[in-house]
Amino acid sequence: MSEIKLTIGHFYPDLLNLYGDRGNVLALYTRAKRRGIDVEIKEISIGDELNPADIDIAFIGGGQDNEQNILKDDFVKVKGPIIKDMIESGKVFLCICGGYQMLGKYYLEHDGNKLDCLGAIDVYTEAKKERFIQDTIYEVELTSGQVVKAVGFENHSGRTYLGSSVKPFMKVVRGAGNNGEDGYEGAHYKNTFCTYSHGSFLPKNPLITDMLLSLALKQKYGDTYELPVLSTKFEDIAKEQAMTYLDTKEA
Amino acid sequence: MRFLLAKCAAHVTRFGLRLMRRGATTLPGKIALKIDSDVITKLSKDKFIITVTGTNGKTTTSHMISEMITSLNEYEVINNISGANLASGIATTLICNKPKNISKTIYVLETDEAAFAKIAGSLQPKLSVVTNLFRDQLDRYGELTHTRDLIASGIDKNKARIILNSDDSLVASLGKGREDRSVFFGMDKESMRYNNETYPSGKGVLKASSDAVYCPNCQTKYEYKSRSFSHLGDFYCPTCGFSNPGADYRIIYDLKESPSNEGYIFKIANENQEKIVSLVIPGMHNLYNTCAAVACVREMLKLKNYPHDSFGEAIKASSCVKPAFGRMEKITLPGFKKLCILLVKNPAGLDRSLSFVSEASDAKALMFLLNSNTADGKDVSWIWDVDFESKVSGLPNNIYVSGERYGDMLLRVNYSGVEESRIKYAPMDKAVELLKQAIDECEEGGCVYVLPNYTSMLDLRGKLVKELDIKDFWK
Repeated sequence: MSEIKLTIGHFYPDLLNLYGDRGNVLALYTRAKRRGIDVEIKEISIGDELNPADIDIAFIGGGQDNEQNILKDDFVKVKGPIIKDMIESGKVFLCICGGYQMLGKYYLEHDGNKLDCLGAIDVYTEAKKERFIQDTIYEVELTSGQVVKAVGFENHSGRTYLGSSVKPFMKVVRGAGNNGEDGYEGAHYKNTFCTYSHGSFLPKNPLITDMLLSLALKQKYGDTYELPVLSTKFEDIAKEQAMTYLDTKEA
Repeated sequence: MRFLLAKCAAHVTRFGLRLMRRGATTLPGKIALKIDSDVITKLSKDKFIITVTGTNGKTTTSHMISEMITSLNEYEVINNISGANLASGIATTLICNKPKNISKTIYVLETDEAAFAKIAGSLQPKLSVVTNLFRDQLDRYGELTHTRDLIASGIDKNKARIILNSDDSLVASLGKGREDRSVFFGMDKESMRYNNETYPSGKGVLKASSDAVYCPNCQTKYEYKSRSFSHLGDFYCPTCGFSNPGADYRIIYDLKESPSNEGYIFKIANENQEKIVSLVIPGMHNLYNTCAAVACVREMLKLKNYPHDSFGEAIKASSCVKPAFGRMEKITLPGFKKLCILLVKNPAGLDRSLSFVSEASDAKALMFLLNSNTADGKDVSWIWDVDFESKVSGLPNNIYVSGERYGDMLLRVNYSGVEESRIKYAPMDKAVELLKQAIDECEEGGCVYVLPNYTSMLDLRGKLVKELDIKDFWK
């Protein structure tokens, strides 16, 4: 299998690296590596060239306001048009929190100031005072049609609303989700997946990790490519515990 | 009248709690603050107060300062040693300890960053140490620049001399515009460069999530002439020119001459002297803590018009320091085995401890404990910010994982490259059994290193007091 090669494009790792976001990159890396795939992680930050052909999966995490301001111009003006094309052409993206918001149309701040974002997907975000900070449980329909539970941790004050051309990524079982109102979490458009769930999202949800790997590798090596079977033993222990932990703490 | 009532209520509460064999480190102060919100201002009057704040090394540094001052046999030290570092804990410390002679008493108060902003005006400290700023429990404190601004607002509420880390760009920036009251401690720039060139560090698959990469003034990436660890180093901003201001108290060290498990031999230099320090508490980060403590004690002695060589006395005193509660305590066990607990509360702490264990030649077993209570931060994803991957080859073969969130830690360790078969795990209610197994399986002469976070340490510690007959922390 060593002829199979996968490159993960990690966007702005020096700026967008909150709440263990890099765990998602490590999860993609580890579950690919264990299958004998030759994996490379490519860092793409301010001023770095972005060549879509070099990247099989793109990851954009969340950052602090100060950090997000620093990269805004590079992201929207310089790399923006290329990222839009990548998303439209079906490249696999995973975007978390700030990365999710920045792909949308705009971000409306507390004081009414409207920050234009990339507009790559049909969502917009409004800031609110109250932050959603908690362990979460979701239900997600994978691209294979299989419906599974997913666990995460949300920490955001933005409320995101979805336009008609994007679907929600997951259904909220526990937690606030996109906006605390409609019962959905994240957004799914073509092969782009967005969520507010931070840090250890992919590590504890190996089937979602595998879905992203499979989508990317099928795109690269054709629909006949099948991701080799791999144990989810420790991942399941962690996920199971995250779900029951909530019950023990609430009891 | 309210003040007297507040003090009285605090004493009664403490007496009651002690009768029930409880620590009583915060509740008396909490009650006093309820009755008289100004109680800290009144209690701080005429006292010589030192505050120690920053995200990492607060407890160790305050502990060092306390032990050093005590060893001078000149002053009495009153401190909040058990980590009760919010307003309530500080009020308790001020109320419940009676100084013998107020002019010969030094208060050393470890102060939480947010609490510092609130009470620095009331405390009117003479000296304030800021150790460093690393990402901490972001779900509690928010952004790191915000934490820096909190500390700055506290600093501006008094006239204390501020003792700042020159290698941490966020902390060093607190000295800007406050030059006349700033004293810096940090690594000697030459030593830093020498060590970088002589002992290059290992690389993982992915860089650790780093803080303070960009200059907050002009949003340009900092350049580094050399580094000590994480974002600490000889930084400069190519745009605005803000740079490492250089240290008044400099650490001169050689990584080779300072094996991490035997303690460090290094030098601290000031404006005209260079003295050898032998430190029993190992770990590179403790060089910073020691230097901060030496700087603080020396500055204190200067303010007190100490008649002898204040720098020499401060250095001498540093040799009297023993480990603090949950920080590098080595406990001797039967069979020539040792147990060492290293509290790890945030990514920088875990990074340093992993680095230390991976270099310690006596490390024969490693145990992690992970909880996610409010005091720990409810989000466990911080463990993914740490670069385990570059250290994993040096870790002991046997690894044990427990805590209320052992599943997350289990996965973290496994994803770093440790095979399933090397990891044993159990839930928190079986943590002591797992630790006993680790001790049993540890070879003679070896040390079992335990890395718990805050509430899992308290829990484990409580159980160990009963099971292994280890003395508790509050006297």
